[in-house]
Amino acid sequence: MGVSTRQIIERYGTFFAGVLLFIYLTIFADNFASVPNLLNILKQVSFLAILSIGFTFALITSELDLSFAHVCSFSGVIIGMLISDGVSWQLAALVGIAIGTVAGLINGLLVTYLKVPSLIATLGTSSVANGLAFMITGGVAFVGRWDPNFLFLARGKVGVVPLLVILMLIVVVLALVFSTQSKTGVHLQATGENEEAARRSGINTKRCKILGLTLSGVAAGVTGVLLVSNLSSAAPQMGGDFLLLGIAAALLGMTMFTPAKPNIFGSFVGALIIVMLSNGLVLLGAQYYVQDILLGIIIIASVAVSASVLKQAAFSL
Amino acid sequence: MPSKISASQVFKNYGAVEALRGVSVEIEEGEVHAICGDNGAGKSTLIKILAGVETPDGGEISIDDRPRQFANPTEALRAGVATIHQDLAVAPRMTIYQNVFMGAELTKSVLGVPLLDKAEMRRQSLSYMSQLNKSLTDMNKKVEDLSGGQRQAVAICRALRWNADVVILDEPTAALGVRETEQVLDLVRSLKQSGKTIILISHAMQDVIAVADRVSILRHGKNQIGMAVSGLTADTLSHYILSGETASAH
Repeated sequence: MGVSTRQIIERYGTFFAGVLLFIYLTIFADNFASVPNLLNILKQVSFLAILSIGFTFALITSELDLSFAHVCSFSGVIIGMLISDGVSWQLAALVGIAIGTVAGLINGLLVTYLKVPSLIATLGTSSVANGLAFMITGGVAFVGRWDPNFLFLARGKVGVVPLLVILMLIVVVLALVFSTQSKTGVHLQATGENEEAARRSGINTKRCKILGLTLSGVAAGVTGVLLVSNLSSAAPQMGGDFLLLGIAAALLGMTMFTPAKPNIFGSFVGALIIVMLSNGLVLLGAQYYVQDILLGIIIIASVAVSASVLKQAAFSL
Repeated sequence: MPSKISASQVFKNYGAVEALRGVSVEIEEGEVHAICGDNGAGKSTLIKILAGVETPDGGEISIDDRPRQFANPTEALRAGVATIHQDLAVAPRMTIYQNVFMGAELTKSVLGVPLLDKAEMRRQSLSYMSQLNKSLTDMNKKVEDLSGGQRQAVAICRALRWNADVVILDEPTAALGVRETEQVLDLVRSLKQSGKTIILISHAMQDVIAVADRVSILRHGKNQIGMAVSGLTADTLSHYILSGETASAH
C-alpha cells in the first residue's frame, strides 16, 4: 500500500516544480510576490482556468475541443452586440452562455452521430465561430458605455478578493465535485477510459461524449461573459490566445495528481503555473517570444510524458 | 438436475453463411458446461445468442424452462445471464471498485445531493472479491496493476454484482501464463461452489477437463458431441474436435 518515491514524483513532481518556480520568482523577480501582483495573477488565471477546465471535461471523455477559444470570442461579441443594442446585460450574458452551450452541443452531435473525429469537428466549429465573430463585428470591437453591474462581474471585489477569483474558485469546486464525486462524472471517466466497457456496462457513452464537449462550450460561454466584463469591449479575437494556453494548462494538469489522466484540479494548477510563468517572465524582462517558446515546450513535454488520452483522441481518426 | 438454460434447435445465418444449423444445448443448474469446437464451429455465435448480442433466426432459448428472447445484452443481464468476454471489458486505469460498479455506482445523499458512496462500493467489492480471490484486498488498486488472472476476477466480480445466475466465460485463459490460468480455473471452481451455472468456451482442452462437468462439441454449426467430462482426457477431446467423430463412433 506504500507509495514509492517514483509515484510521488509522478503525482506531485509538476506541482513541486510549480512551487519551486514560485519561490524562484519571489526571489528574483521584483514585485512578483506583492499582494497586487498576486491578485493580478489570480485574476488572469480565472479566465484560463475556466476554459481549461471545460477543455478537460472533453478530454476526460477522450475527445478534443479545439473550438473553445473562438467560441469564447463569438459568445463575447454577441454579448457586446446585444448590450450595444440596449438588451439588459443579464439577458445578454445568458445568451452568451447559451451560445457556448449550443456550440459544444453541436460538437458533441457531430462527434457521436456523424462520427466526425473531434479534432476535425471542433476545428470546423472553431473556424465557423471565428468567421461569425468577424462577420458580426466587421472586425471592429464593440466598445461604449457598459452597465457598472456588468463590469462588476470581472472588476468588482468582495473585501480585497476580486469577485472573478471567487467565481473561478466556485467553478473549480463544482467541476471537481462533479467529476470525482458524481455518478455522471465517473461515467464520463469510464467513457474516456474504455468506451466499449462503459457501453457494455449500460453507460450511455454517446450522451457522455456530448456532455463532455457541451461542458467545454459552457465554459467558453461563461469565459466570454467574464472577458467582455473585464475588458469592457468585445473584440472578435479576444479569446484566440487562450487556445494554446488552455490546452497547455490541461496537458500540464495531466502530469500531476492522477498521472496521464485528465483531471480538473491538475488543469487548475496547470493554469496557475502557466500564468505565473508568463507574469514572472515579464517581470524578469524576458522578450515577448520567450513565453511562446516555453509554451510549446510545455505542450510537447506534457504529451510525451503522460497524455496518452490526448494521443488517442487526436489520432483515432 | 433441473435445466438452467437451454438452446433448442437454434439456427443463425449471416447472409449465405449458416453459422448455426439446429444446435441444441441443455445446461443444468450449478454445472460447469464447456462448449468446444474448432474455429467456425459456431461456439461464438451460440454464445452471442445466449448473451443477447445476436438474435436467432430460428429455435428457442429457455431459462428455467421459460422461453426467453433477448434483444440486447442488458436484457440478458436482467435475466441473470452475464457474459465475460475475452477482452474482459475493464477500464485499466480505473480502480477495482470502480470497474466492479461501472454503470451502477452506489450513491448517498449529502445535503440532498447524490454523491458517490465510495466506502460502500469498496466494501461490497471486497465482499465479492473474497469469494474469488482472498489475496486481493485493496479495492483502490488500479486494474492495470493487476495480473491477468486478477483482472478476470474483477470482471467476474462485476458479474456477481449483476446478480447473474449464469456466467458465460469466453476463452478466459487465452493468452494467460500457467500460474494465471490456474488462478482463473480456481475462480471457476469458486463460482461453481457459490451455486452459479457456468458456460465455459475454451480452446484449452486441459482447462475443460480440469473444471467442466459436461462438454458440448460443435462442428460446422451442428451438435457433434454432448457428454460428461468425467473419464475423458484432453487428448480425447482434441481427437473428437479434430476428427469430427461422435462419441458413439469412438
